[in-house]
Amino acid sequence: MSLCLFLFFSLFILSGHYGPLAVLLATLLHTLRVSAFNVTDASSATAIQRTYELTKYLEHQLSTLTVSYLTYLGPPFNDPDFTPPRPNNSASLPSAATRLDLWKGLDNRLRLSENHRAYSILLGALKGLAAGTLCPSLQRSLQHFCTGLHGLLVSIAGVMTSLGYPPPLPSGEDIPNYFTPKPGSFDFSRKMGGFWVLKELQTWLWRSAKDFNRLKKKLPIPRRRTHMFIACPGIPFHW
Amino acid sequence: MANIVTSACCVVLAAVVVVYAQRRSQQGARIQYEKIGSDVTMQCGTLGSEASVTWKVNGTDVENRREDDGPRLALKQVDLSVNGLYSCFQNPTGELKDQIILRVGNPPKEPIVTCRSNTYPKGFYCSWHLPHPTYIPTEFEVSVRHGLQDLQVQKDPIHKNRCHVKLPEIFSNNKYRVNVTATNALGNASGFLAFDEISIVKPDPPEKVVANPIPGNPRKLEVTWNSPSTWPDVETFPLKYFLRYRPLILDTWQHMELSDSTSYTITDAYAGKEYIIQVAAKDTEIGTWSDWSVAIHATPWIEEPKQIIITTTTEADENETTPSQASPSAKPQVGDTLGSSSAALTLSANLFITCIIVLII
Repeated sequence: MSLCLFLFFSLFILSGHYGPLAVLLATLLHTLRVSAFNVTDASSATAIQRTYELTKYLEHQLSTLTVSYLTYLGPPFNDPDFTPPRPNNSASLPSAATRLDLWKGLDNRLRLSENHRAYSILLGALKGLAAGTLCPSLQRSLQHFCTGLHGLLVSIAGVMTSLGYPPPLPSGEDIPNYFTPKPGSFDFSRKMGGFWVLKELQTWLWRSAKDFNRLKKKLPIPRRRTHMFIACPGIPFHW
Repeated sequence: MANIVTSACCVVLAAVVVVYAQRRSQQGARIQYEKIGSDVTMQCGTLGSEASVTWKVNGTDVENRREDDGPRLALKQVDLSVNGLYSCFQNPTGELKDQIILRVGNPPKEPIVTCRSNTYPKGFYCSWHLPHPTYIPTEFEVSVRHGLQDLQVQKDPIHKNRCHVKLPEIFSNNKYRVNVTATNALGNASGFLAFDEISIVKPDPPEKVVANPIPGNPRKLEVTWNSPSTWPDVETFPLKYFLRYRPLILDTWQHMELSDSTSYTITDAYAGKEYIIQVAAKDTEIGTWSDWSVAIHATPWIEEPKQIIITTTTEADENETTPSQASPSAKPQVGDTLGSSSAALTLSANLFITCIIVLII
């Protein structure tokens, strides 16, 4: 308000040749004042965009990794048409599936925390999977992917902080037993478990891309020109 | 007047009677379906094996029939030409005993099913067809299963071999399984398709593609389009676009992949050449590209040719001169610039200030 008054008076006093200069000065001060407000919005938008890009990158990496892993499991898992039944304790794996109306209605905070929770659990499961993999090169690839997934968790937590939400609590949920490494044990149920961990990860990464796209749209992205003209709508520019 | 009305009524009545009689003559007929290539035997009603009958097909006598067949008619290795209305008349009275409509065809083979979602995330539709024709009426039953759930299927009101299903949830990694069973009088067969939600997403092509030349720019074309009207929610599930264009005289396309904006300006068009332009759409994350839109033609802006009037002077016209009118617009433009120099200076000063403000911010 005080800034508007300053702008008004500066125009009034310094009208004529110095009118444009007065506007320049007032706008400079206004810009300095609003710059602090712009930073938070801009950083959230950047964080969301980065997280979105990270999900796309991880999705791409996972598709290659899945092919290697299913080949390692052997038939029938490497048959593209084969879908094993879900293991009995698969309810502990977070499912990305949801009703359209519920998904649309999620508020930003819940949307982010659901994503964070899902990846926390899946990261734990994937670590167990990697530890139980007997092929060294595949194990390295899985562990490398775990690092990327950890980066995604950090990125999501960063978005939550930048939007002013409390950081997510560490997941205290137990990872299902059959993911804990049992070297040498290679039964069918463990293979089924491995299949579904990767499948759920794939689905979540695809869903997250849509989640972050939606967050991007719901968040007001600041436009500098708009701010300048919104400053003092009642005062016309006089040259 | 009354005579005409009476005559008309009589004609109508006669027509009705004829049609009714024809229908009635077929009403007692039963349909017999047989497989192509098989040997067929038709039985005349409930007559005993000693009875003697005469067979007619579509009103004409049946050729090559053995006399000792009794009330039966045997046809070997039938093909589509044996289709028709068969009537048997008892000898010697000539009484019509039975009528059979013979239809030959094939039992259905496994239907081929395809599914597509152009209305994601609302639902999808499935189509099917038989690899070989059956030639006889065939019905289809469709069932859709998702995990442990049976989904409701809606038959398409127009297309006989299409049905619609609503998606019960999104981001599901349970497969959908669509089963189509074809049934006719000679047998049945089932075909199925199992798929993931994301693999069948394919939007319809973009609509209302329009390309306009930009005045003053001989190498530009402004292209705009709308998202397909069947895509229900382009805000929540945005589409990205792919534009391709080429001059008519060349065969190679130029491509541009675009994010969710629905307009693009081509800046490298060959001046004066007619262009052909198409656009395709895809969900930003999943599925496949749509078919190409209808092709539109456009030519970039061409400068108006300058009017040149050639003056010819003959001996008689030597004393007259015709002023040339080359570039009628050039001189006034120069004059305008000279006259408004002071206004231009003020304008440039204001623009300079605005630029500084923008740069600072």
